[in-house]
Amino acid sequence: MIRSLYILGQQSNVIYSKEYAKSESGEGLVEFLVNFAHFISSVDLEGKTEYMGFSGTRIFYAARRDFVFMFVADKADDTAQIEERMTQLVDAFIKDFATLAEANLPLEGLDAKVDEIAVTMVKVAILGYAGVGKTTTLHLLRGETLPLVHDPTIGVSIKKLPDEVQNANIVLWDLAGQSRFSILWAKMIANAQVVIIVTDSTLENVLRSKKLVSLVKEEVPEAKVIGIANKQDLPTALTPERVGQILGIATYELVAIDISYRDRLIQIIRKAILEGKGEARLVPA
Amino acid sequence: MPQAIFVVHLDDYQGFVVEKRHPFSFSLNEKILNLIFYEHEKEEKENLRYSEIDNVRIVSFVDRARPRWMACFVLTADEDYEGLKEEIPGMGRLIIELMVENPELVHLDEILESHSSLGEASEEQRYAQIFLTPSSGLVLEKIENEGVERAAKLSIWLKSQVQSDSVDLRESILPLMDSGIVNVEIIGKGIEAVFLVKDVFAYRAPPVEAITKARKSMPGLAAQYQQRVAEFFAPPPPSRGYNPTIPSDDPNSPLVEDREKIARVLSKKIEYKVLTSLRDEPLSVREISNRTLLQEEIVQNALFSLESENVAAQIGEGIWALVTNPIMESFIPEFVLPLIADKLSNDEITPEIARRHLEILAEKWSGEQ
Repeated sequence: MIRSLYILGQQSNVIYSKEYAKSESGEGLVEFLVNFAHFISSVDLEGKTEYMGFSGTRIFYAARRDFVFMFVADKADDTAQIEERMTQLVDAFIKDFATLAEANLPLEGLDAKVDEIAVTMVKVAILGYAGVGKTTTLHLLRGETLPLVHDPTIGVSIKKLPDEVQNANIVLWDLAGQSRFSILWAKMIANAQVVIIVTDSTLENVLRSKKLVSLVKEEVPEAKVIGIANKQDLPTALTPERVGQILGIATYELVAIDISYRDRLIQIIRKAILEGKGEARLVPA
Repeated sequence: MPQAIFVVHLDDYQGFVVEKRHPFSFSLNEKILNLIFYEHEKEEKENLRYSEIDNVRIVSFVDRARPRWMACFVLTADEDYEGLKEEIPGMGRLIIELMVENPELVHLDEILESHSSLGEASEEQRYAQIFLTPSSGLVLEKIENEGVERAAKLSIWLKSQVQSDSVDLRESILPLMDSGIVNVEIIGKGIEAVFLVKDVFAYRAPPVEAITKARKSMPGLAAQYQQRVAEFFAPPPPSRGYNPTIPSDDPNSPLVEDREKIARVLSKKIEYKVLTSLRDEPLSVREISNRTLLQEEIVQNALFSLESENVAAQIGEGIWALVTNPIMESFIPEFVLPLIADKLSNDEITPEIARRHLEILAEKWSGEQ
């Protein structure tokens, strides 16, 4: 995930920057980048993108004409993918914005172009049997008012999370839980980076949901799987720890009808996306 | 005639995307798309489905080779589904193929009006699939050497060849079964045996029929056409033409490096339809369009693609002809008979397996020659 992005000009001055996620290095990073850009402009990179490790992140850099381009990305990121995005950014900038930058004119449209290149799409699938609160969880994540009448999902309902988590657009796939739709699950979770298995925290449902964990691990082994122990406000609910033990995956408590859980759940998803990427890189090719 | 058509693609991130629709004013909702998709997933073998959802009568088509696409036709209240059962799969096949290969050429209104369609895969197109699946090609080579082999042994061999435990023999063998090259049967006490029934070879033939017809119908162009073909197959020295690497002891042996190319040409459904129309005689784009019911733009595009593969060429003003005729043909694998005898005498197979293999060969070939 690209955390921040910098374009520096002839005097190694920052002519454009965008930060998608806070970096631990903060101000020190910018100072380092300015000095580093000065050095880069004096060497010939032969049009290539190169990278180096820096304080828990990875800095990708490229130079063209008098400009130096830099991405600060996670160490777990696919280098080929980031390099491709760098090429896209460099090409787009040189084509449409370099002349404006040289003339010190406003770089209109650059921000949107940068977002188009740097923002990724992340698929999060919400899986679980009927009536456990998947759609309610979806409404919670989207900050929507809950419908008064329960309307079972048909097939799949796909919605975007309104806010970007870091620079990722989260697409939520709420899969119908009725058993007749189970034939769709394998196909629908394809390419999900995170799969959330929602249970209603009853013993019966949690035991059944173990099958879902197996399905996900078989179909999308590279995805991060997390469990949700929903309906924790009910007296019969198993604790999240117990649900996690049975499912064999990290599990978090939830009361999907309580809006106060929203931020916490988004943080859990954010963490899962980051962890999922790290683990995926360890999966042998 | 259906009152509307829409084409849906299931994208891994965005979900159901209506890629094209006609008329543009026709509207849909997520529920309809979900239910149509669900209907197809219920029964994987069928590719045509009739559904009535929210008072909308929809016939949907899925090509199993393109599993994430659906071509859907909305019927009027009094339209007879039975009467459209024959026509819709062909139109659906064409629409989906174009959407995948060349979406800008999809004009749903024109397809609907002209009843353009694509037929089911022909025998040679099914053979082509073998060479487009690398592990299937490997299994074919192995079974050509063995004649008959136990599936379990073949599976272990395949895993060692591709150095991966994840390779699935069933998937590799499917194109061979679909095209009738092998039979898989349980013999005796649970031995699953794979029998070679047919063998297949691919080559480029000179388009003799088209040249002969051209001599009669377009004498002004025939000599030029023949010259063009001769340049490919037997150019003057020092060029060596198409045949030089064919082993001299086997005149039918295809060029291995060209086999995949031939398989690719034959497997492209639209190009194949245009190619088959040119097997008889040279034609103009309009004539091909009239014969195939494909729009001229689509025909032109297919011709350019065939030209790049040295299959078709323009031989006169607006006249296209085959320069080479890519063919995949099956033949009786006589060479398996001594293999069966050897294996039987070395106790590598049971008499039951040997007998069954001979039976299968006899069943397959006795009526065909």
